[in-house]
Amino acid sequence: MLDDIRVLEISAPDTMMAGRILADLGADVIVVEPPAGSPGRRLEPFLADIPGLERSLTWHALNRNKRAITLDINSPDGREIIGSLAAKFDIVLETKENALPDSIDLGSRVIRCTVAPFAKTGPKSDYAASDFIVMASSGAPSMTGDPDRPPLFFAVPQAMMEAGSEAAIAVLSALAARDRDGAGQAVEVSARLAAMMLSFGQPIVLGSGNREIPRAAVRNTIAGVDIPSAWECADGFVLITIAFGPAFGPMTQRLVKWAADEGHVPVRLAETNWVLTPGDPAGGASPDDLRTTVNGLRALCLTKKKTEVAEAARRLGILASAIFDMRDVAESPQYRGRGLWTPVEIAPGKTIDAPARFAQFSNYSIETRRPAPKLSEHTATILGDELGLSASEIQALFVHGII
Amino acid sequence: MLDLSWVMVGPVSGRYLADLGADVVKIESARRIDPLRTLGPFKDGRVGRERSVSYHNLNAGKRSLAINIRNPRGREIILRLAEWADVVLESFTPGVLDDMGLAYADISKRNARVIMVSTSILGQTGPHAVGASGVGTMGAAMSGATFQLGWPDRPPVGPWGPWTDAVAPRFIVASILAALHRRRRTGEGCYIDVAQAEAGIQFMTPSLYEYAANGIVPQRRGADIAPTRVPCGVYPCAGDDKWIAIDASDAKRFEALRNLIGGDTHDRAFDTLIGRIRARERLDNAIADWTRTRIAEEVERQLQEAGVAAHTVSRAGDLARDAHVLATNHLRRINDPVIGEADIEGPRFALARTPHAEIRRGPRIGEHNNQVLRELCGMSDAEIAQLADGGVLETNTG
Repeated sequence: MLDDIRVLEISAPDTMMAGRILADLGADVIVVEPPAGSPGRRLEPFLADIPGLERSLTWHALNRNKRAITLDINSPDGREIIGSLAAKFDIVLETKENALPDSIDLGSRVIRCTVAPFAKTGPKSDYAASDFIVMASSGAPSMTGDPDRPPLFFAVPQAMMEAGSEAAIAVLSALAARDRDGAGQAVEVSARLAAMMLSFGQPIVLGSGNREIPRAAVRNTIAGVDIPSAWECADGFVLITIAFGPAFGPMTQRLVKWAADEGHVPVRLAETNWVLTPGDPAGGASPDDLRTTVNGLRALCLTKKKTEVAEAARRLGILASAIFDMRDVAESPQYRGRGLWTPVEIAPGKTIDAPARFAQFSNYSIETRRPAPKLSEHTATILGDELGLSASEIQALFVHGII
Repeated sequence: MLDLSWVMVGPVSGRYLADLGADVVKIESARRIDPLRTLGPFKDGRVGRERSVSYHNLNAGKRSLAINIRNPRGREIILRLAEWADVVLESFTPGVLDDMGLAYADISKRNARVIMVSTSILGQTGPHAVGASGVGTMGAAMSGATFQLGWPDRPPVGPWGPWTDAVAPRFIVASILAALHRRRRTGEGCYIDVAQAEAGIQFMTPSLYEYAANGIVPQRRGADIAPTRVPCGVYPCAGDDKWIAIDASDAKRFEALRNLIGGDTHDRAFDTLIGRIRARERLDNAIADWTRTRIAEEVERQLQEAGVAAHTVSRAGDLARDAHVLATNHLRRINDPVIGEADIEGPRFALARTPHAEIRRGPRIGEHNNQVLRELCGMSDAEIAQLADGGVLETNTG
């Protein structure tokens, strides 16, 4: 779909997802790394737990379908080369920390997107930052985890996912403008604002005349009854959502009926109205009914496997699912049957399935055309083909550590 | 854009396009209201179907047409709007639109160039797809995300909120914009199917690869998420549930940190990265002893002045007062006839030459019934009145 679009990605963790989404949608994406390799090559986990520039699984996951060159863009030759190269591209992706020199003239058609942890200018623009720090500023961790312990963060860096996927949208928005009038523009993405998406209503709580709500505990209490979200089952955990009202209440109704049919709550409760919130003066379940139901469900789950609960949820229309670990994800017949996966060779003789197809199209298919590039894999080809550098000139650049 | 979606994933996706200047018509029902209208925050904490500020936040700038799409005349209006639309977006449980005769096959018969997006928890195909409805917490659970967030001695807690509702729109909007680009070149439309759980897997791919390549099933690790980076974590500050995040594992930042806070951090055991990794708990305690009595914002300021990566673990109030959030004009004041003034969010990126549309409030249920039917469907006032009398048009009774 983007097969007429060329992207030059000055590689950093925050650009990787952007480049990959564009590459998956058909764009020709070339990453530019310093001769020592992109910082993205030093992100865990590593193949067989052995570190190495070709062994980062994070790098592999986020650089499929791209080609790569190395270039010291801060050397005089590097500056000139990157300038001539970038002007031939439709889109340039960069980060504030690792940007093209300001002096470069990219011409009027290029879309230049800069990702900053906070902003390019203004308050906090000079902050020392990292993925973890940006996530802390997003508002989401402050609501995550048990209130008696510290807030929780994913081990997989998430700000780079948020920033990168937002940057893909940002440059495609600028591309829509260019399709109309032929002109490119500068685009700025804030990783922090992108990550704030995860905090849902938090940014607007105060501005709508409300007070902060404390972390976790209170939210899962209805009519004085504590309701878990993760329920232990025979081989792991399942998620069961107990919610009320016209949209979700009927599912709770079916859930209680299931528990009754399985003999874990009294039959009377299956006939109670669960669309109304328990304790609602209009009728429905009492707080005691809810407590009995929660206890019955707890006992019921312990007798079931993850897949059995998920199967019952599908069959009966209950708001519940298995809590998948990565083995479950890899083995799920749903994802496999649907064609999420494409094979990718991440090391000689080592092929794994990549969850490539984030979207399925009636007349386009996301494919893994090539694995993540090796360090400097395409440098000579691209400098030769794109810029007409001779073989001896390319060797000179290498001898002097510029590529 | 004809937006048949509700709750979060679809509306967030449509909001991106509305901010870019698209005319987004949201179809809703006054009888079976968008559940987002039942979710807070509500203006001044008072619940009401026109009082959800979250609704405004995700539906800013859209027009609302409230009709009964199960009525044949309502269905015909949807098809006429589909002829007008460049993009149609829907988030029904898979199978529901087929039953109503509003699937891609029906829509594309009326508009071959249309780009239609369906989004659901598991997608439209695969053995478990049809009939699968779900919410973003379930998407998180089925993407492998929920399992990895929590303490080893307790059940997983998962990310806060309906996580995939915040993740999936990125893949939906990027797909729509790419399809529009292709359509401008070739005239081709298409059908796009995004499974929200699969979108979640994208953000977790490194740990999926860890399983696929190394055979390791990543477990929940509590606060121990960065074994190669020390110090890197959250430390308690003065006040209730106030925390500072510090990432000072590289040599320069660590020197800056110990020069600022002094005390036990000067122990020679911490001079090297390996030393810090081996004595992590002792170092974390020394840092926590310093942060514990201090105000988080003040710790952030001092550490950043010293060149140490640090930030308050921002809560709702911190975000509303944050210098960066305010300076980038991220919070926009709306003025709504029902709730008065409130803040909603602006875009998360800036376009230098073609700025986003001015941020407007969201619509009330059916607010644009007459306007949309007249302007986009070419109906006369008499025809519209007939629809209203026939119960096809819905008006807000709440």
